[in-house]
Amino acid sequence: MNNMLELRINGFGGQGSVTLAHLLAQAALENGEQGQALPFFGVERRGAPVRAAVRMSPGSIHAHSQCELPDYVVVMSEKLTKAAISEGITEIGTVIINAPYAEAVEKYCTWQVDAEAIAREAELFSADGPIINIPLFGAVCRVLNIPQNIMEQTILNKWPGNNEARNLGAAGKAYNEVRICSPLL
Amino acid sequence: MKTAQVIMDTGAHAAALAVKSARVDVVPGYPITPQTSIMEALAAMVENGELHARFIPVEGEHSSMAAAVAASAAGARVFTATSANGLLYMHEVLHMASGGRLPVVMCNVNRGIFAPWTLWADHQDSMAQRDTGWIQYHCSSNQEVFNTILQAFRVAEQINIPVMVNFDGFAISHCLMPLTLPSQEDIDRFLPPYEPEWRLDPAHPSSFSNVTNAPEYAPFRQMLSDDIMASIPLVKQAAQEYKDITGMWDGDTIDTYRLEDAEVVAFAINSMGAELRLSIDILRQQGIKAGLLRPRLYLPFPAEDIITALPQNAQVMVLDRNYNFGHPGGILASELKSVLFGRRNDITVKNRVMGIGGIDLTRQFMAAEIRAMMDE
Repeated sequence: MNNMLELRINGFGGQGSVTLAHLLAQAALENGEQGQALPFFGVERRGAPVRAAVRMSPGSIHAHSQCELPDYVVVMSEKLTKAAISEGITEIGTVIINAPYAEAVEKYCTWQVDAEAIAREAELFSADGPIINIPLFGAVCRVLNIPQNIMEQTILNKWPGNNEARNLGAAGKAYNEVRICSPLL
Repeated sequence: MKTAQVIMDTGAHAAALAVKSARVDVVPGYPITPQTSIMEALAAMVENGELHARFIPVEGEHSSMAAAVAASAAGARVFTATSANGLLYMHEVLHMASGGRLPVVMCNVNRGIFAPWTLWADHQDSMAQRDTGWIQYHCSSNQEVFNTILQAFRVAEQINIPVMVNFDGFAISHCLMPLTLPSQEDIDRFLPPYEPEWRLDPAHPSSFSNVTNAPEYAPFRQMLSDDIMASIPLVKQAAQEYKDITGMWDGDTIDTYRLEDAEVVAFAINSMGAELRLSIDILRQQGIKAGLLRPRLYLPFPAEDIITALPQNAQVMVLDRNYNFGHPGGILASELKSVLFGRRNDITVKNRVMGIGGIDLTRQFMAAEIRAMMDE
């Protein structure tokens, strides 16, 4: 249990939080660990706040609750940063924010990636706009020290023969571009 | 043991894969959240030819169980699934399946009951079917759902009693986790084709479930009651043989964790029984000798196994995710007290109701609740 890593994704309905959770759990399995994705399903509509729990562990995962005090919080939209932190995070938690620019959030180690710009550049679009969960998946894998080849294999397994070059390009760019924010002085 | 395959899958889809590998003949179905994913998956498998079964879409759950009863009486291996108010709507026909001694297997994906509406898990739906004459399993993980469906078909067909396989909505049904799939060859070895002792056949007309006089009716009911009790050794045998063939074990009638030397015992079913392992670890770190007893079989209630497993002078903390209306607390506590009475006077039973309508039950919360109960 002490080796179990917990992560919560906070996003808006339609941003692909559930798929991001599934990709991360799958990546854990590809990486030789156990993984779990437990999205919270409510009466969601597009644009309403949503969340999903992800767990990774070298041993069996017995938890089936939402992540109350996660080690990592992934913020799909910077508008949600405050709300996401107020839902709970461990004392020494890490925050990963999708934003063109971000500063460190309170005392937490904070990473920033511009997933939307990367998706636009890679021409990854759905009917709703740029697909941000694929670059975010790359960024989160980097922060969690999941090797890039495991990250790529997970994408290829999820969508074999479908948009492979653009998916890998966007995820790889985010993997390399995600950066630690300087704390506020 | 042939090579098993590990995939990532949700609990609901794992249920559908188990049903497919059980080679069912007929699947009547009607959608209801959070069970719908099972029916969607099975309908797709029938449509694309992966599963050679007849899928019967119906207009409601009363009809889906009626179709299941009829197909089972015609000698088919039958599966259906439901949740919450869908299960309540079936109530009358559940009695037809058990009274008719038809080995239907059904998943109930636990969800709180209307009114007011809720989508999320508690156990009022399955507990409300306690007296329908069905055997009831309650599962704590995706893998256990898969394994239990196969064991359920075997037990049902050995003793001609329908079996309900329960698991929590969303916490299990929509949770993506690793799932080990035994080879089809191993599954076929564990679960041979269904050979009914009799069946309705238009070529050889016979009647079924006619009006009976009391001298015929009463023995039928007595046999059903006796045979439900007699299913316990079959449940154990199925779990053991499944383990021998696949290497996987979820417990038989009960599942325990750090129980041997426990002074404080958590007693709960379904996904709480998984999360509670972590609560037990927290309590042990705090110096409390805590353990877990999770009934995997709720009906028949595994009285002898519980009586044998509980350590001397234990305080048992029953965490009920249901209400026993008319009594304070929940139904599991009431069941437990009735089996301990006069048999284990050394045991103290305490009880709290929690997690109603899907209120999240974290390891920290349940550990704190157990600590608070110790001081009551």
